[in-house]
Amino acid sequence: MQRAVSSYPFAPSVKVKLLNAGFHSAADLCDLRPLQLSKEAGISQEEAVEVLQAVRCEPGQERAAASQLTALELLEREQELGSIVTFCSALDTALGGGLPVGKTTEVCGAPGVGKTQLCIQLAVDAQIPVCFGGLGGKSLYIDTEGSFLVQRAVDIAQAAVEHCGLLAEDAEQQESLKEFTVETVLSNLFLVRCHDYVELLAETYLLADFLAHHPEIRLVVIDSIAFPFRHDFDDLSQRTRLLNGLAQQLIQMATNHNVAVILTNQMTTKVWNGHSKLVPALGESWGHAATQRLILHWEGTNRLASLYKSPSQTEATVRYQITAQGFRDVPHSNQPKASVDPTVSQSGSMSKRPRMEEV
Amino acid sequence: VPGIFSRHYKARRAVLGKDYCNRNVPFLRVQYANLRSARDILSLSGPDIQRLTHLSKSDVQHLHKAVAVSYRRLSPVTALQVHRGECPSLDPGHKLSLACPVLDSLLRGGVPLAGITELAGESSAGKTQLGLQLCLSVQYPLEYGGLNSGAVYICTEDSFPIKRLRQLISQQPRLRSELPPALIRRIRFSDNVYIEHAADLGALQACISQRVPILLSRGLVRLVVLDSVTALFRSEFQADEGMERARQMSALAATLHRLSHNYSAPVLCINQVTDVMDGPDPANCNFGLVDNKVRPALGMAWANQVMVRLMLLRLPGYMGPRSQGSSSSSAPRRLEVVFAPHLPRASCLCGVWEEGVRGLTSTEPGDQEIKVLVP
Repeated sequence: MQRAVSSYPFAPSVKVKLLNAGFHSAADLCDLRPLQLSKEAGISQEEAVEVLQAVRCEPGQERAAASQLTALELLEREQELGSIVTFCSALDTALGGGLPVGKTTEVCGAPGVGKTQLCIQLAVDAQIPVCFGGLGGKSLYIDTEGSFLVQRAVDIAQAAVEHCGLLAEDAEQQESLKEFTVETVLSNLFLVRCHDYVELLAETYLLADFLAHHPEIRLVVIDSIAFPFRHDFDDLSQRTRLLNGLAQQLIQMATNHNVAVILTNQMTTKVWNGHSKLVPALGESWGHAATQRLILHWEGTNRLASLYKSPSQTEATVRYQITAQGFRDVPHSNQPKASVDPTVSQSGSMSKRPRMEEV
Repeated sequence: VPGIFSRHYKARRAVLGKDYCNRNVPFLRVQYANLRSARDILSLSGPDIQRLTHLSKSDVQHLHKAVAVSYRRLSPVTALQVHRGECPSLDPGHKLSLACPVLDSLLRGGVPLAGITELAGESSAGKTQLGLQLCLSVQYPLEYGGLNSGAVYICTEDSFPIKRLRQLISQQPRLRSELPPALIRRIRFSDNVYIEHAADLGALQACISQRVPILLSRGLVRLVVLDSVTALFRSEFQADEGMERARQMSALAATLHRLSHNYSAPVLCINQVTDVMDGPDPANCNFGLVDNKVRPALGMAWANQVMVRLMLLRLPGYMGPRSQGSSSSSAPRRLEVVFAPHLPRASCLCGVWEEGVRGLTSTEPGDQEIKVLVP
């Protein structure tokens, strides 16, 4: 679809006219009718019909080729992409092996519950070498709240490097550890700071190019999507339009560049029928935006993560904790009796997708 | 119209600046559609711009990218660059000291320079004391944990406690006994604390959007203390005006947030507390604090805007003089980190003495002749 107009076998005068009118690639042309094109480009109607025929017959075949995928092939492709572990095995199990690459995931939660901690943890974990069951990728962190403190990223990277150091057995793993140090982890973590929603939108327009230049990137974090969009808006319908456009772009990016996209969202108080309740912010329509939705919340002194929406996993609630090292499992001795429903975690472990740890 | 790009180079340049000119985008159409600033273009979706300008899809993509490149302040940097201090705009690399090594170590160095830090607590917990202490600590040079600048103190409740400030200034040599006395004598503390009174939300908004930015941009101050953020929101709104209250609150927080990040000046907001009702409350979050009888006021709409939330709790009991030559005593208090992106949940014991707020190391309260007497 991106074939340049100049590469088509048209008459030079037609080409010049098309280019002058701003038609550079086949994608610019294929939605037009002949009459429109002849007016826009200043060419005769016959020429316009010829141009459109030439342009349309080819992408049609490409499209068909792209869609000729069986479900089995799709499944294999998805499994090849793998997932990013969270270092909390209960949550990994609930997610079917970790945060899926190629999909968008929304993380909602009250302030202080651990959204940013999970994001930083994942940004580090995306870089775990392949021989340790990681993806050996890089990460891009778009910070809109100013809550990414590099001090904390150093803590978490340090702990992850030490963790892999303890696991290393064979020579290959020892070798890869030389490339997996706190310094390399930090140098493979790209950081962008956006001060308002316009800067965030600007960044998403540039994201495709950035990902094309850095094909090793496996994770894009936007922490948070809610903060810039929750003030400065008088016209809520414009906000909805922009958010939907953004979500669309991110889904496209996740699919085209094989990255996991993680978005964080705040919670807000919703009142109806005299009852009030905490719900994710940005309204009802935003709920459809991400493929998966994970809600982090408090229950007494415990931190819980609930998988709320997922196309492939059952709903589940698991416990986690935030330690000095990062996002972690709750040790088994501390597991409470009632808080985690055993049937839920059971069904989580029999998930459809196998864990990719040993790959 | 063929040839539109080359002929109207000048017009394009005049409207959109020279950064946009070298692209093959027919900018006259953008101009006709009344899109005059980068913000206008970026905040419209691709299809919207196509509708307004009748440009092709790939032209709009080019337009968006060209405008986005010139709009962004900083291209992506790595965390390593930030860690090495090569990007002071992202991480200034130091913090504002609380003038007490124990409290500083609780906060891993002090108050972060960018972002809103909240200090919540009951009345008489010592919130104002800590606010005043920061107003003095900010005036020390960088190597002593300060920012070498003044502070602006915005009062919304009481009048400014000027007597207490004078007392704290006179006691500085005792509080900062590790610093050279000549240095302390040289700083003219009371000249660098700017006091603002805001009796209603309009006055507060005018203060932080007009007068405070002037002080910050001239480098006269690098700390904003708002004491308290609660009073105006509690008094000006009735129960059924929740929506309006939340809107005003987020507007205030957005302004403070912008000030803090633009000038890398810490903003300390003092907040009151509300009682915790018995039983689970689905509309509120307890932040995992089940033992506390109180929680910070203003609910979720405010909490979402806060980066570091601290709480001061007054404990029963009594502590003797902290240092020699002083006769004052203090009720014990606990300073608690409720949440912060870089801090574990932790707390430390502290007290308010004549010379200021000081933390106590939990292991050695005995050798400092301090006894916590529980009645």
